[in-house]
Amino acid sequence: MEPKLAVREFLQNLLARKGDTQPFSDADSVLASGRLQSIDAVEIVVFLEDRFGVDFADIGFDEEKIDTVEDIVSLIG
Amino acid sequence: MSAGADAGFGAITPWRLRFPKDLRLIPRFETYPSVVSFAQTVPGKLALIAIFGVGFYSNPYWLPLLTLLVLTTALPAYRRILLTFGALLWPFVISWRVATPSQLIDTALVLIFAGLMFDAAIRFPHSWFGRRPIVSFLGGFGVSVLVVSYLPSGGRIHFELWQFLTILSLYIWFIGYSLLDCTSKGRDDFALQLGTYEPFWMQVSLYPPLPCLKGARYLRRIESKDSEQLAIAQIKGAKLLVWSFVLSVLLKVLVRIVHGYLGIPTYPEMLAFSVPRVPFPWFTGLASLISEFLENLLRVSVLGHRIVACCRMAGFLALRNTYRPLRSRSVAEFWNRYLYYFKELLVDFFFYPTFMRYFKRWPRLRLFAATFAAACLGNMFFHFFLQMGDIEKFGFWKTLAGFNVFMFYTIVLAIGIGISQLREPQEKSGWFRGQLVPSICVAGFFCILRVFDYGSTSPPIQEHFRFLAHIFNLVS
Repeated sequence: MEPKLAVREFLQNLLARKGDTQPFSDADSVLASGRLQSIDAVEIVVFLEDRFGVDFADIGFDEEKIDTVEDIVSLIG
Repeated sequence: MSAGADAGFGAITPWRLRFPKDLRLIPRFETYPSVVSFAQTVPGKLALIAIFGVGFYSNPYWLPLLTLLVLTTALPAYRRILLTFGALLWPFVISWRVATPSQLIDTALVLIFAGLMFDAAIRFPHSWFGRRPIVSFLGGFGVSVLVVSYLPSGGRIHFELWQFLTILSLYIWFIGYSLLDCTSKGRDDFALQLGTYEPFWMQVSLYPPLPCLKGARYLRRIESKDSEQLAIAQIKGAKLLVWSFVLSVLLKVLVRIVHGYLGIPTYPEMLAFSVPRVPFPWFTGLASLISEFLENLLRVSVLGHRIVACCRMAGFLALRNTYRPLRSRSVAEFWNRYLYYFKELLVDFFFYPTFMRYFKRWPRLRLFAATFAAACLGNMFFHFFLQMGDIEKFGFWKTLAGFNVFMFYTIVLAIGIGISQLREPQEKSGWFRGQLVPSICVAGFFCILRVFDYGSTSPPIQEHFRFLAHIFNLVS
């Protein structure tokens, strides 16, 4: 699956698990907006580590880097 | 739902009443197109400023607060510069009458020191400090406090160093957020970072340990980009301010009923009775603890709401600090809803660094260790270095030993949050089993834990356990 689609699907599932079924665009914030919490950010990190081999210990972690679909795609791209 | 479930600029949609779900004490004015349009006009802005003028009238800093709100409203393009101006106004202009010249010089030195660290972290990103600025800074601060606390007291050097560290202790988390911003793509320069060093809206609360909003990185994300976003942020700010006054009335009523009409002493009074074995009925102790828990929730909500309301009025749509904590269905959720910015501080400075570096091959241990680093170690660090007066008076190790009750509190809290995060969420149907029972259990956990939420001036830990046993009628 294309990275962008995989990321979008993952975020969509994460939001749905929290009862949030509102639509979101690729530029919409999911963390800074309060729709997802730090514990969800952890799930995104683990997803990116497992699926795309991202190592935040090397590049430094910042919620801003995983706040939108676009941010995540530019991080793994 | 989150601490900030009410945040976000969102779209303005026509409002329809769907009773009773949408019934609100304060309507969602920010969704009324006519109200948002009005808030963008001069009379609308004056009306919003008037609400804050009335709301902050009893604050000793009423005039400077209101002046800054007027300026940030009138000159949105200069908002961040005004923030820097406001952050410098308090230590160097408003406090100059009460501060000594050496305190003013040390404050200036602390800010220069912060600027030098910020610059060093950017210039030398591959050095030890550049790679780990937070560990270096917080670790260096802790070691400096330890060393200086044992220098011979009474001398000029000890006095000056201790005063510098005491002032630095007031700024460490603001400076820490600046250092975190060093690696951001669109980081602000130091002049704008200064505006986040105790932003002027923190002066709304005279209760110092309430944690700050996050740093410059967060402010950039929540800053209003146009007049409509500014209007929405300001309307939400005004609503939150009004809501804080509703809650403060509720708090006064609760205090009047519990401590006045029912004559139940406060929890610290009850604990003071318990230590010399003054007899009191177990249910009175339990009632005082429950009342203390609820009063604290209301007090924290009121103060947090006022700070966030002022921040929103200045054009930053910040999430609330407290958001319906009694609706929490897990310990971790309560922690997130109760003191959002304190939790975020612990997450940013302790949770994420631990999670990103350690125990990567053991997912459950990894999560638990990071939670423990934040809720226990970080929590202890935060509260311990608030007690600079005690550290100077009793010495570093003695003050730390006096923190044994609070240490126990943070350990139980960390274990509670850790277990709560590791448990699979169980969706139980129905309001009773799905909402009410979990909420009562979570509130009960935090209410009981409050028995141990004491700093260095606490009675010995066995007295807290004895009090706890007594209020459940287990010992007389």
